[in-house]
Amino acid sequence: MLSTADVDNEVLLGQIACLQSIDTMVLERLRHEALTVPDEQMWVAEYSRYQSGGWSTLSLLNDSGVPTDVRISDCTPVETTLLQRMPATRKLLASLGLRYMWVRLARLGPNSFLWEHRDYDELDGSERQRLHIPLMTNSSATLVTGGVRVSLRPGRIWRLTPTHVHGACNLLGPDRYHLLLDCYADDRLAELAANEWVDEADIVQLPEATEAELQGRFRKALSLARLGYHQSAESYLLRLFYERSLPEGRIYDLIAELYDALGDFGASGQWRTNKMTLLGVAGSRGTA
Amino acid sequence: MSLPALSKLAEANRPEQFALLEHATERFTRSSAVTALLVRGSLARGTADRLSDVDFVVGVEDSQFEEFISVLDALVTTDLGGILPGWQDTIVGSMGGLGYVYLIGWSGHLQQLDLYVAPASAISRVQERTACQPIFTRDPAAVYEPDLGAARFVAETMAMPRSCEDLLIEALVVGYLIRKRITRGQEFIAYSEGFLFNTAAKNLIKTALAPTSTFYGWYQLKEEIGTTPIGRECLNHLMALISTPAIPTLASLTEGLDRVFAVANMVAPEAVDNLREAIDAFRYYLELP
Repeated sequence: MLSTADVDNEVLLGQIACLQSIDTMVLERLRHEALTVPDEQMWVAEYSRYQSGGWSTLSLLNDSGVPTDVRISDCTPVETTLLQRMPATRKLLASLGLRYMWVRLARLGPNSFLWEHRDYDELDGSERQRLHIPLMTNSSATLVTGGVRVSLRPGRIWRLTPTHVHGACNLLGPDRYHLLLDCYADDRLAELAANEWVDEADIVQLPEATEAELQGRFRKALSLARLGYHQSAESYLLRLFYERSLPEGRIYDLIAELYDALGDFGASGQWRTNKMTLLGVAGSRGTA
Repeated sequence: MSLPALSKLAEANRPEQFALLEHATERFTRSSAVTALLVRGSLARGTADRLSDVDFVVGVEDSQFEEFISVLDALVTTDLGGILPGWQDTIVGSMGGLGYVYLIGWSGHLQQLDLYVAPASAISRVQERTACQPIFTRDPAAVYEPDLGAARFVAETMAMPRSCEDLLIEALVVGYLIRKRITRGQEFIAYSEGFLFNTAAKNLIKTALAPTSTFYGWYQLKEEIGTTPIGRECLNHLMALISTPAIPTLASLTEGLDRVFAVANMVAPEAVDNLREAIDAFRYYLELP
């Protein structure tokens, strides 16, 4: 088993923490609405550069009231037609008393990934936080930040600081459903965060990748690419983020090196650009 | 009802295996090393139902056969959503290649993907020995010369001893097969697979606790393994497994899987740790408690 002994809780609390518990019956009603109200055809897979495919969202509070408008921006949000059909969710959001920027319902399917990235790069300078309310999950669905794998347990409101590098995965299914609440900082949010905590049972410190492991992984990815499976080679390397602790952006470097080894310098250059975009270090735009 | 509407209905009710079949075909044929794809089993015979597996033969250039096998697990995991590494199929006949069974999370259900990967030079032999339908041929005029390296690699791979993790995967895959037989009411096949399941449990115990055993099959288990507390506990589980009704039921399968997990936790905890999330997913998809 991986050890949690080395996790620096203070550092981790800056990145992710639990703020409040949610009553079991309320959770069951939220879950029921999330699983039954949205039409299957409605879900929108936005932010394609940031994900493997399989991550899709619907808006509950946004700037237009249209649930399929899911690309977030600063706004004073209004209820979407979807939220109007979800009374328990609507009641919960109102009861929290937060100043929302945008609220979405997010679904992450099996074998789906949000790659290592930072959020909010395209937004204005207002201070904000992202709250996650997990509704349905499984043991292979985790969030990785700071080299720590966190299982976002349902029944709690979690705070994520998405300007830290992070990624999420659902390796094996079933679907993972979360409410995502992007909130502007205010007294109410500070009040909620006053007693935040992280349970050791929910976190695992990922072991550092050894050079031998990286080389082994690289060789197999190279085999996949040489056989013509370029996308699989990329995915195979990108998945390492959820298994091993690595320096920021190292996986993107590995993919660029993979294409260098294949003599495809166009692709390697593209991945070096992707790295800057995904990690928000190039003044780039467009994050989830 | 208009014909387009009928087509739409037919498409909406198409068994999920066809979507997996299409997806897998598109992914496998991206490699120029793949020379042929053939469909076997009930899909090829036209007798498939919604529980049928997707049964493929994949022809691979002889010179790239070993490299292809070396990435197969990674390919199935990343591109098709395999929840476990492939189980090296010990049931399929020898046709010059290697057989693997994968369990795939697909559209909210578990699907079985059988792959028989053969060097391109052996594909005609496969076609002679099994009923199959070609769905992809890269170059109909091509003639593939046998590569001794590929044949040697197949022989070496088949001769390799199974690890505890391999055997735990075998128990899970066979457990899935039994679940399918129970649903279909296929008692005779369920009986034979029940024996296979118990044999996988026995082999797991032997591999972990008597790895150098020279005794055949089920011989001398008490003498070799039952001399220590952990050995006796494992044999108690094995005795309980073989004492269940010969035709598995959902209850006996559930209990059997619990016993295999209990044994694996005792004798091969690393294997269980490596597969922990996959075991959770397996339980979910099979709707086991």
